[in-house]
Amino acid sequence: QSTVTGTVTDKANAMPLPGVNVIIKGTARGTATDFDGKYSLEVNQGEIIVYSYVGYTPQEIEFTGQSNIDVAIEEDASQLEEVILIGYGTTTKKDATGSVDAVTSKDFTRGNIVTPENLLSGRVAGVTVNTSGAPGSGSEIKIRGGSSINASNNPLIVIDGLPITNDNVGGSRGVLASINPNDIDSFTVLKDASATAIYGSRASNGVIIIVTKKGRSEFSVDYDVQYTLGDIDEQIEVFSADEFRAQVIAQNLPNNFISQLGDANTDWQDEIFRKTVSVNHNVTVRGSLFNAIPARFSFGVTEQEGAILTSEFDRRNLSLSLNPTFFDNHLKVNLNTNLSYEDNRFGDSGQIGAALRYDPTQPVYDPSSPFGGFYQHRNGNTLLLGGSNPVAALLQTNNIGDSERFYGNINFDYKFHFLPEMKFVLNLGYDKTEGVSRNNSIYATNDPIKGNRSFSFQERTNQSLDGFLNYNKKFGTINTDLTAGYSYQRFTNEGHFTGNQRDPNSFGDTFADPDIVLIGFFGRANLTVAEKYLMTLTYRRDGTSRFSEDNRWGDFYAGAFAWKLSDEDFLKDSKTISNLKLRVGYGITGQQEIGERDLFLSRYQAGSNNSQYQFGNGVVSSLIPSEINPDLKWEETKTLEVGIDYGLFDEYVTGSLNVFQKDSEDLLFNAPVPDGSNFSNSIVQNIGNLRIQGLEFTLNTDVIRKEDFNLNFNFNATLLDREITELAFGQDVTTGGIAGGTGNFIQLFREGESPNSFYVFKQLRDTQGNYIEGAYVDLNGDNIINDEDRYLKENPDADVIFGFQTNLEYKGFDFSFNLRANIGNYVYNNVNSARAQFDLLRSDAVLGNIPTSVLDTNFQTTSDVILSDVYIENASFLKMDNITLGYTFKDLSKFIKSVRLWGGIQNVFTITEYSGLDPEVFNGIDNTIYPRPRNILIGANFKF
Amino acid sequence: CTDDLNITPNDDDTLLGADLYEDEAAYERVIAGVYANLALTGTFGPESSNIEGIDAGTSQFGRVLLYLQTLTADQMIWSYENDPGTRELQRNIWTAQNPMILGMYSRTHLTISLANNFLRETTADKLDARSVSESVRADIVEYRAEARLLRALSYYYMMDLFGKANFGTEADAINTVLPVVERAELFQFIESELLDIESDLVDAGQNQYGRADKGVAYMILAKIYLNAEVYTGTPRYSDCLNYCQQLLNSGYVLASEYKNNFQADNNLNSANGEIIFPIISDGVTIQNYGPTTVMINGSVGSLEVNGAEVGVSEAAWGGAIRVRKEFAQLWEGGDFIDDDRNTIISADRPIGITDISDQSQGYIIQKYSNLSSDGVPGADQTFVDTDFPLFRLADVHLMYAEAHLRGGGGTISEAVNLVNDLRARANNPNTISAGELTLPFILDERSRELHWEAHRRQDLIRFGLFTGGNYNWAWKGNGSNGIAIPSHLNLFPIPNLSMSSNPNLTQNPGY
Repeated sequence: QSTVTGTVTDKANAMPLPGVNVIIKGTARGTATDFDGKYSLEVNQGEIIVYSYVGYTPQEIEFTGQSNIDVAIEEDASQLEEVILIGYGTTTKKDATGSVDAVTSKDFTRGNIVTPENLLSGRVAGVTVNTSGAPGSGSEIKIRGGSSINASNNPLIVIDGLPITNDNVGGSRGVLASINPNDIDSFTVLKDASATAIYGSRASNGVIIIVTKKGRSEFSVDYDVQYTLGDIDEQIEVFSADEFRAQVIAQNLPNNFISQLGDANTDWQDEIFRKTVSVNHNVTVRGSLFNAIPARFSFGVTEQEGAILTSEFDRRNLSLSLNPTFFDNHLKVNLNTNLSYEDNRFGDSGQIGAALRYDPTQPVYDPSSPFGGFYQHRNGNTLLLGGSNPVAALLQTNNIGDSERFYGNINFDYKFHFLPEMKFVLNLGYDKTEGVSRNNSIYATNDPIKGNRSFSFQERTNQSLDGFLNYNKKFGTINTDLTAGYSYQRFTNEGHFTGNQRDPNSFGDTFADPDIVLIGFFGRANLTVAEKYLMTLTYRRDGTSRFSEDNRWGDFYAGAFAWKLSDEDFLKDSKTISNLKLRVGYGITGQQEIGERDLFLSRYQAGSNNSQYQFGNGVVSSLIPSEINPDLKWEETKTLEVGIDYGLFDEYVTGSLNVFQKDSEDLLFNAPVPDGSNFSNSIVQNIGNLRIQGLEFTLNTDVIRKEDFNLNFNFNATLLDREITELAFGQDVTTGGIAGGTGNFIQLFREGESPNSFYVFKQLRDTQGNYIEGAYVDLNGDNIINDEDRYLKENPDADVIFGFQTNLEYKGFDFSFNLRANIGNYVYNNVNSARAQFDLLRSDAVLGNIPTSVLDTNFQTTSDVILSDVYIENASFLKMDNITLGYTFKDLSKFIKSVRLWGGIQNVFTITEYSGLDPEVFNGIDNTIYPRPRNILIGANFKF
Repeated sequence: CTDDLNITPNDDDTLLGADLYEDEAAYERVIAGVYANLALTGTFGPESSNIEGIDAGTSQFGRVLLYLQTLTADQMIWSYENDPGTRELQRNIWTAQNPMILGMYSRTHLTISLANNFLRETTADKLDARSVSESVRADIVEYRAEARLLRALSYYYMMDLFGKANFGTEADAINTVLPVVERAELFQFIESELLDIESDLVDAGQNQYGRADKGVAYMILAKIYLNAEVYTGTPRYSDCLNYCQQLLNSGYVLASEYKNNFQADNNLNSANGEIIFPIISDGVTIQNYGPTTVMINGSVGSLEVNGAEVGVSEAAWGGAIRVRKEFAQLWEGGDFIDDDRNTIISADRPIGITDISDQSQGYIIQKYSNLSSDGVPGADQTFVDTDFPLFRLADVHLMYAEAHLRGGGGTISEAVNLVNDLRARANNPNTISAGELTLPFILDERSRELHWEAHRRQDLIRFGLFTGGNYNWAWKGNGSNGIAIPSHLNLFPIPNLSMSSNPNLTQNPGY
């Protein structure tokens, strides 16, 4: 026997692979590579060494006396055995029993990715990511449309085992904004109940598991740089100065208004928007620390300008990952620490609306103005009512937000010495964000107080502990994989603010939310029989501090079965079908995430300093009991899903088809209580049901799969229908607040209808088809047009969502683009409904501009038309979010392994019939969204 | 390791019910909370609300009361009809979906709920168990009577506006589906409660400002007796007159100047002898979008930009509120040129309103002000210091006169004197004679004296002029010259949300 040593690497990137099985063929003798991909094995002459690793093509090498055998193994696409995370464990795509999609770094969406969720945009069927145009801003992420109404519709996001909160702090752009996308290795999206049930309490809206990149022993340095040039290419059409002058005269405005017309020609939107330059740098160093600890360190800098004057997002990220192993790989330790510093200047997006409105015949600057040299509507030193100069409002406002975030975890994975099939995993996570907001602004105002100087501080923490035991052993043809564990998490939130220090009547206060504590006990059994029949059973018992002692525990369970048909004899040798798996799963998950943290307690609230009462001539700090519901309990979502995973033609075509139905019951819904019986007329109760039915289809094709020529397509489609099947007492609930009127709303929850359906009047037209202003159809026929005549028309959710990506690699070239389409989503055009009426040429005491769409309707008065169905528009769209082209130079020198140069465009085009700026708006109400700029990107990636 | 799920509030402004009453000062703070529901909409400033289904600021008690009693009638018009509910109210085409109607029903029931909570927490058993000191116990006797008074006040408005209410007392537990009581039974309850608590209440005019006393109880009694025929079919004018007399004997005096009642310092100036019960507003400590904030900011003219004259920002709300033609005409004819109550500004304005959204049509008035009697502006330019005079002595003068004319006893000379007292106070030399004191005169004089004080709908109903076609004011029934409206509009509909949460409620006829 001789000893052979060597290193096993990944052929694709020459990175060492830990955990590769190195076994002598036909024997039980073997070992596994360590974290550096190194192995050492006793071997006899002529024996064959097999190197095998999940997801890779095994390689066999005959031992002929070599002292060193280095092997590069190659990923096996045909096996598709990528390891995927399923929460407290892993499985492979092939063995998954639930609806699980993984997106790894090689598949990430490319482009100007500043926040991590955009890496996922359009990639996974059933997952939508809607991001605002503001720099670094948060996104609305939904999996299968969300399964709640009043409770959270956000998926649970787990970073390296640490479930994070969805709540942001003041001073930060968003909870994901502080995470550097460059540090992310993979996303796994868990969609159905059988996949998510292990997270029981918070799994109803799906789970996104994020894994960050880890250290490796081999030394490498990466440097990425990216420049982004952004420009707003579309604006809301309002009258130009000349058109405006003509309209003011044509509309017969009184002389005291006509006389206000100026000589200037100002496009206020041009004045508040700007071309932007943004820069991204990332340096990643990987190597072995002290020659013993695989480590990864990264440093990222992002400087992003917003399209609105003064708006800016700067971020610096430091991340360190240490991944040592001890005791012959029996104990693996992963330490991830991240520091993030976010510096924001917030440009008030409300000034977009002000810019639409401001008189285009007036100049931006006015040297004689006492208001900082900016033009303002004024009479001497007194401002007139009717809006103020948006450029001044932006430039004179200095609203700064800084946040510091530390998040990280330490994970111990111990494989018992005496029982190697048993392991214990302990994960400790901590996430703390401190946000500081400072405002120092001047307003053009007649008030004696001329501005705002205020300060606020907020701190959120999130501590988690998870521990579980896992036992994995094969008994004959049955493989058992058993997991049982405990999970603890606590969230805190507190802070203080000063109020406006320039205003003696303004005041500060401290605040501290009740903590949220979540505790869970969980277990899972995976059984595989003959490698063909798979079964997963999951149980979780969860407790939440949000409910009273009697109601706080919920039991959640799920079962799933999968049958790998393609491993059956009748399909085993099929040339066409290379993989076919049938899945069926059913499970119950829970929801407790509502705004209220202590609704079950009898509490009294002291009024804030401006909400006191007076006895005599002295102030009494009044105490008012808070609304209370001790009966609150878990909202439950029951999901039934049937799915097929398929692979055809040696896995050239792969994909899946899922059909599911989710029924959310005992919805945590804010519903009326009998007046006089509580301390509100409406409290959160467990009332109402929501049904979601859907179909998801994914198709991936490797059209060409060659050494230096690859072309693939990824297509996904989601059909989704959400319907409220029951509401409290069958009662409609209004929602969807709009601009134009105090407390006006446009949407309704109604039994039998989709959530957020638009609630409008049916517009009457004359015989020529022109609208008759203020005339609606008397739908109930009582000869009075009032609230009883409103009806439901369409809703904001798309009926069908498509995603399409393609990647082409030819020699050194790479080329990719993606397309997204939504069909059947409707938008209420609040820009037009609240602005495009001729009466609004007068803005109180002064003149004001209005959208030119008024010429299509000829409407005069806002209050006569604001609830008309003419403002409900079909906002179906096809968008190309990103297109990139790159070229990689390899082996340039001894030091530089490769250089990739690339360029691209983001927000390439949108095809839609929607008349507003962008059909993709939050909640279906378009009220001057922050426009998404078109960005031109250039970048380079250096590997050393 | 699961005990951590037992959380308690961390904020020092949130107190657990279980711990609160360990501090004896809590009783005063909790009764103040019951009162505060008349002035505040929530505990976190003027934009916060503890009821839903209506804009937070709009849900203030006095505000929705003003909308239902005044905006629905002939004195006021609201320019911004895209504020949901305003259009339907002022054009008399409201439905059970109307947010203001919901706001009135829910806000008022919240006072009932808060009062019941106070009564539950101050039973003799609980006070014994907490070993409350004698001096605080003495205060609590008064507080309990005041809680019952505020509850009766709330039921009075429910009886008047809706003809029924969810009926809860301290005996009903939280979150129970309450029985519903109809108009006649509410009348009995209000009457018996007010009579029952009289001995525990502080003498009229003697309580701390902002707290209710016997005077408020007498006032409610006078009001329900005056309108008893509407509520129960049985007239009670002599009872009305007796309570008016009792109020007149209680030491209240008319403010030296009419306008003192509506100024920023009306809690301190001569009005504090006249105002029997206010809804409090303060620019610093009690900010709300209540009736005075709304009327002072709202009545600033879009053309006049006269905000500085009433102590708010110059343009304020740009002409949100104006008066209707029929109200303006009450001041025509030369008798009222120097009458202090006539604050009409008519320059360059047509008297009629053909387009409600055009703030330059129709007259504006300047009744309420955020300037003190010394001309000093209130602390804030939006949230006024001016308290809303929910009940004041001038109303008693006019009720006496009306009750007398309707056969309630008293003397004609006293009635004439009481009416002329108001004219004299308003520096109007045109006093009236006994022959001129008629019911139609009373109705008009009530409008001149008490306009924009949330009485008008009730008055018109008592006179049989609110519904039907005998009196059609501008925009009544959704016609610019006014058209008849059906009689079922004498009661408001039970709001849909309130109906849905209480199966004992039935909708009022006609809706």
